[in-house]
Amino acid sequence: MDIRAQVSMVFHLDKCIGCHTCSIACKNIWTDREGAEYQWWNNVETKPGTGYPTKWEDQDQYKGGFERNNGKLKLKLQGKLATLANLFHNPNLPTLDDYYEPWTYEYEHLFTAPEGDDQPTARAVSLITGDYMEIESGPNWDDDYGGSPVYAANDPNLENLSDAQREQIQEIERVVFFYLPRICNHCLNPGCVGACPSGAAYKRGEDGIVLINQDKCRAWRMCVSACPYKKPYFNWSTGKSEKCILCFPRLESGQPPACFQSCVGRIRYLGVLLYDADQIEAAASVEDHDLVRAQRDIIQDPNDPEVIAAAKANGISIAMIESAQRSPVYKFVKEWEIALPLHPEFRTMPMLFYVPPMLPVLAATRDGQYEVDGANGSDVAAGSEGLAPLLSSLKGARLPMEYLASLFTAGNVGDIEAVYRKLIGVRIHMRKETVEDVTAEEAEEALAQAGMSAEMAEAIHKLTALPTFDQRFQVPPMAREVAVETRQHPERHKREAGFGPVIAPRRRW
Amino acid sequence: MATRTSAANWKRSLPVLFLTVLAAMALAPRLAIGASEAPLQPFEVSPAQDAASLFQTQCSACHTIGGGDGVGPDLEGVTAARDRDWLARWIIDPPAMIADGDPIATEILADFNNVPMPALGLSEADVEALIVYLEEQDGGAAAAPTAAPVAATGDGDVEAGRNLFTGAATFENGAPSCRACHSVAGIGGFDGGGNLGPDLTASYDKLGDAVVTWPETSVTMRPIFVDKTLTDAEKADLLAFFRSTEVTERSAVVIWQLAGLSVLGAALIGLVTHLIWRRRLSGVRAPMVGRRS
Repeated sequence: MDIRAQVSMVFHLDKCIGCHTCSIACKNIWTDREGAEYQWWNNVETKPGTGYPTKWEDQDQYKGGFERNNGKLKLKLQGKLATLANLFHNPNLPTLDDYYEPWTYEYEHLFTAPEGDDQPTARAVSLITGDYMEIESGPNWDDDYGGSPVYAANDPNLENLSDAQREQIQEIERVVFFYLPRICNHCLNPGCVGACPSGAAYKRGEDGIVLINQDKCRAWRMCVSACPYKKPYFNWSTGKSEKCILCFPRLESGQPPACFQSCVGRIRYLGVLLYDADQIEAAASVEDHDLVRAQRDIIQDPNDPEVIAAAKANGISIAMIESAQRSPVYKFVKEWEIALPLHPEFRTMPMLFYVPPMLPVLAATRDGQYEVDGANGSDVAAGSEGLAPLLSSLKGARLPMEYLASLFTAGNVGDIEAVYRKLIGVRIHMRKETVEDVTAEEAEEALAQAGMSAEMAEAIHKLTALPTFDQRFQVPPMAREVAVETRQHPERHKREAGFGPVIAPRRRW
Repeated sequence: MATRTSAANWKRSLPVLFLTVLAAMALAPRLAIGASEAPLQPFEVSPAQDAASLFQTQCSACHTIGGGDGVGPDLEGVTAARDRDWLARWIIDPPAMIADGDPIATEILADFNNVPMPALGLSEADVEALIVYLEEQDGGAAAAPTAAPVAATGDGDVEAGRNLFTGAATFENGAPSCRACHSVAGIGGFDGGGNLGPDLTASYDKLGDAVVTWPETSVTMRPIFVDKTLTDAEKADLLAFFRSTEVTERSAVVIWQLAGLSVLGAALIGLVTHLIWRRRLSGVRAPMVGRRS
C-alpha cells in the first residue's frame, strides 16, 4: 500500500448557472498575458455541445489519453519511438482555429476617428497578428446552444443515442442543456506527464497537483496532444506549455483556488483524498464499465487505522490526514457515491468529480396535449417505475441516461442511474420534510430504491444546499516548508518572497 | 497595443526571413553566372610593382600592345590617339564614363560586343605609371606582342575540345578540366558543370579568341594555370569547341527539361511529405462548420 494525498475537486452541476465568473477570475489572475490570451485554464461549456477546443472529447481526432492494449495501458498518442520521430512535427495538435483566434477591439478608434456622418466603430483586432479580423469562433461560441445545428449536433457524446433520443433533447418545450465547467483534472495517471519528452510535466508529490516546469519545457507540445481534456496550452510568446496550477500559491496560503472562491452558484468543493498509488495502473486498465468502480476503490478511507499508518509511513502529515477526514470530496465521491469523474474512459484517472445535473421533466406534449408533467404531483402515470411523481422516471428524463453515461461513466448506464436514484431520493425525502406534499411511504420507497438512509439524504442535502465556506473548501495545510527544505533553506526561500529560483522563459528567436 | 502587435508580427516573420536568407545564399552562385556586368572586385596592387608587370596582371587579359584586338582594343598608339587626361579618367573608372555617356567610351563599347571594361581599382599613381609605360611602348620600337591570342585556326577539333572541357581527355601539362569550375551548354548533365566560375555558354561571342588565353592572363585563373599551361593544340581544340554552335547558346529543350524536372521534384517532395504526415490533424472546427453549408 502506497498511500498518497491528492487535492481533489467536486463540481455540483445542478448548481451551475453558466455565468463564467470562474473563467474570468482565472483569466484575470493567470492568463491575461501575451501568448496566453487564448488559454482558458477554466472554461464553462454548454452540454450538449462541442466545447473548447472544438470537439475535444473526440479522441479519434485528438489522440488524447490512454487506451488498453492487450490489457496494458498505452498512450493513445504514440510510443517512445514515435515521439522521437515526430518530435519536430507533432501531428496531433489542435489548430488555433479549433481554439479560437483571440481578439480585442480597437477602442482607441472611438476617440481618434475623424468627424463624420457615422458613429465610429471599434473593429476587432487579432491579439496574435495585430491585424483586423473577422470573429468566427470563440471559447464559448456554442454557449446556451448558440449555433446548435452545427455545434451541439456534433457533440461526440450523442454518438450512441438513437435518433428519437437526439430529437427529444431539442424538442420544443423540452429542450435541455446544462453547463459543464472544466479545469485541469489533476489526474492520477496524467497523459501530459506520460507524453512529455523533456520531463517538464510532473505531478507534485505532496498534493498531487500536475504542473509544467517552465525551465524544463522544450515546447514539443506532446502534453497538448496527449491530454484528452486539452488542458495544457502552448504559449506562443514564451514558447512553453502552460496549464491550470490549481492556484497552488493560493492553496499554500490557505485560500481556495480563484475559480472556487468566485463561484456564484457555489458549485465547487475542494478537499484531500488519500489514494493507493500501487493500484493506479491496475485500476486504469480495467474494462470500460468497471472504470468508475475501480477509481472509487483506490480512494482510501482516511479514518481506517491501516490507511492512516500507511499514510504516516509515507510522510503524510497528521494535519493532512485530518484534513482528508473532513474532506467534502471524500463524502461526495466515496461515501455517497454521487460524484463521478468526467470521461473515465480516457483512463487518466481524473481527480475532478461531477455531481450530474437533475434536469427534471417540467412539461411535455402527450396525446396532443401540452401537460405540465407531474410538476404539481398530479401525474402519477409519468412515474412508471413507481417513483413519486415529482421527478418522473429516469426513462423520461429530459437528457437520456445514455448521454450522461457517455460523459461520466464510460457508457455504464447502471452507474449513472444509481447516482440519479440517490439524487431523486434526496429530493423526495426533503420534499416530504419541507413541502409535505409527498407521503412518508413514497419517500421511503424512493430512499429504498436509491439504497440510502434518511440521514444520508439529509447529509447530502445539507452539504449541497447549505454548506458554509469552510465546509466547501477543506484546504489542507500544504506544509510547503517541508518541500522547500529539500531544495533550499526555508529562510532563504522566505527572503526570496516565495518565488524561488526564477529563470525567465526565453525564446530563441 | 500597437507596439505589442508589431512585435508579434516581427517575431512571426522571422522564420520567413531566415528561410529567405538561406534561399538567397543557395541561389547566389547561380545568379552570379549571368552577372557579367558586375565590376571585378578591387584588389591591392603593390605600389612597388613596376608598370610592365602591372600591365601584365591588370590589362593583358583583354589588351595587347600591337598584338591585335582581343576582348578589348589593341593599345598600340593609344597615347597618341587619346588625350592623356581622358586616358587617365578612363582607366580609373570606365563604368562611370560609360554611364556619363562619354562619346568615345560609348563607341568603344559598341565596337567590342558591349563588353564593358571593368573598374580595376587602381590608384592614381598606378594609372600614371601605366600611361607612362604605354607612352614608352609607343615611343620605342614596336614591342613584341604580349600574350598574343592564338590565331583563329581552323584545325581545332570540336570533339577533342569537348573532351578537354569535360575532363574525358586530360590536358598535357596536368591542368584541371574546365568543367571543374565552369558550366556550358551542350555537354550533357543538368547544368553542364561546376558553379565556381561563370557559365561559359556563348563566351566566344563575348571574348572572341581570347577565351582560350584567359586561363593564362586572367587574375583569378592564372595562379592555377601558371605551371600547367595549355599547349597550342589544346587551345585550338578548345577554341573550336567554344566556337561550335552547340555551346554558343543553350538549347531551349534543355531549359524546359530542367524546369520540368524541378516541378516534378517539388511535386515528389510534396507527395512524400503528405504521405508521411497524411494523418496530421489539420483542423476540427473548420470541416465541422464547413459541412453545414
